[in-house]
Amino acid sequence: MLSITGLSVAYGGLHALERVSLEVRAGEFVTIVGPNGAGKTTLLKAISGAVPAAAGRIEYGGRDLGRLAAAARARLGIAHVPEGRKVFPSLTVLENLEMGSYRAEARRRRAEGLDMVYALFPPLRERRGELAGTLSGGQQQMLALGRGLMARPDLLLLDEPSQGLAPRLIEAIFEAIARIREARGLTILLVEQRVVEAVELCDRAYVLETGRIVLEGGRETLLADPRVQRAYLGA
Amino acid sequence: MGGIYAVMSIGLALIFGVMRVVNFAQGDFMMLGMYLTYYLAVAYRLDPLLGALVVVPPFFVLGVLVHRALLVRVTGGGDPQRQMDAQLILTLGLSLIITNATTMVLSPMPRQIRTGYATEAFGLGPLLVNQARAYAFVMAVLLAVVVFVFLTRTDLGKALRAAADEPEAAGYQGIDVRAMHGLAFGIGVALVAAAGGLLATYHPIEPTVGVNFIVLMFVAVVLGGLGSIPGAFVGGLVIGLVQAVTLLVLPLQLQNAGVFIAFLAVLYLRPQGLFGRRLRTV
Ligand SMILES: Nc1ncnc2c1ncn2[C@@H]1O[C@H](COP(=O)(O)OP(=O)(O)OP(=O)(O)O)[C@@H](O)[C@H]1O
Ligand SMILES: [Mg+2]
Repeated sequence: MLSITGLSVAYGGLHALERVSLEVRAGEFVTIVGPNGAGKTTLLKAISGAVPAAAGRIEYGGRDLGRLAAAARARLGIAHVPEGRKVFPSLTVLENLEMGSYRAEARRRRAEGLDMVYALFPPLRERRGELAGTLSGGQQQMLALGRGLMARPDLLLLDEPSQGLAPRLIEAIFEAIARIREARGLTILLVEQRVVEAVELCDRAYVLETGRIVLEGGRETLLADPRVQRAYLGA
Repeated sequence: MGGIYAVMSIGLALIFGVMRVVNFAQGDFMMLGMYLTYYLAVAYRLDPLLGALVVVPPFFVLGVLVHRALLVRVTGGGDPQRQMDAQLILTLGLSLIITNATTMVLSPMPRQIRTGYATEAFGLGPLLVNQARAYAFVMAVLLAVVVFVFLTRTDLGKALRAAADEPEAAGYQGIDVRAMHGLAFGIGVALVAAAGGLLATYHPIEPTVGVNFIVLMFVAVVLGGLGSIPGAFVGGLVIGLVQAVTLLVLPLQLQNAGVFIAFLAVLYLRPQGLFGRRLRTV
């Protein structure tokens, strides 16, 4: 479904990603873990078209995304739930969700999408008329996730959905992700610093460090790897 | 007067809110709107109140074209400080060019549209309300309502606000942020031109007429809270009201003194403006 080969991204002269290659097959749940500043967010932004690639190729559904703008990629069914949530603060909760279903394929089935999101995150239904900027951090994360789901995406990109949340909320968010996946058979690419939870959930994972993929493998392989245990699992 | 100020200020606020561009040429687009309304009145005997609506489509197209030809070069991405300098120079330059070109082509001579109702008045109890101003006010409020409904009830209007809030996330929803900038600029220019058309029902028209109004637009927009549309609307109304009250107690030349005093008072008591949000706390 998503195939990246030799991707490099630079900010000014600084290389944030260097010759990264990875593969996400249809229906797969793939996680990327790595320390601060490794380039995880940059990788997701390159896929959704928010930052340009300096070199390499990103193929989605067999099609080269090349220089397609972010909006055009979203219309192809790529939904990006960004780091730091980035909900639309001066729009209501409902309007935020409506904007999630802005693309034509999703707009037609907006009512159905709203039912699904409200069932998943009941607090959003209660506060649907309120401005998104007034929600708590956890509710904003629900809204960001809900907005992403409203797009009826084929590929869902999630950037640190647990960031800044209390442990109990993190559990709820991860649980929701697992449920979404089961219900919709979505393809998911998740970026996380909470390595244990993220790797537990996924089928396969990559470890990204200073802009390069240093390790990849299935869930069991990765959890058993001594380097991962030392660096991320505190073993 | 307040209704017209409200419409022009909404135009400026929309452009600033969505694009973060301060458009110094708004006063000149208003002036051009006045001239087009004037020539429609002279050539086709079109009532300026209708002329003000007729100028909306051509000025919308003009706004979109100006955005596409000029503003895309100085918005979206790049070093923010340098972008801001470039925007300032661009819109100020545009303003100078429009003023001077109009002076050259149409001469600096002031013109006036003669309408039957410009010198008539309604009796409202003890008050006399000039008919031209009353009709212009009603039209202005109607225009503002249309814009408001567009922004809050249609997907396109909501997308415009989303692009203003979080351009990056708007892109992730499939919203073409650059197209939204063009839309905002087109609507902003069309609104200020329509406000000019309404103003032309009773105000003389000359190439430099915009300067007097751009200052009031800025005051209205800041008064209402930078970039807030309802804020700009109320800000415009407040300015019209304060001007009218000032006129009762001070000579005509000082009518804007009251506006600036009210402006300073509001900013002192409520620095974020009447409708502004405080800095975002995440
Ligand atoms: N807009 C930018 N301009 C310049 N440098 C940037 C920009 N965004 C990120 N960088 C740099 O690129 C590198 C990768 O950043 P990125 O945000 O992708 O890392 P990350 O893995 O997502 O980190 P975190 O875990 O903190 O979210 C970092 O060195 C960062 O400082
Ligand atoms: Mg990141």
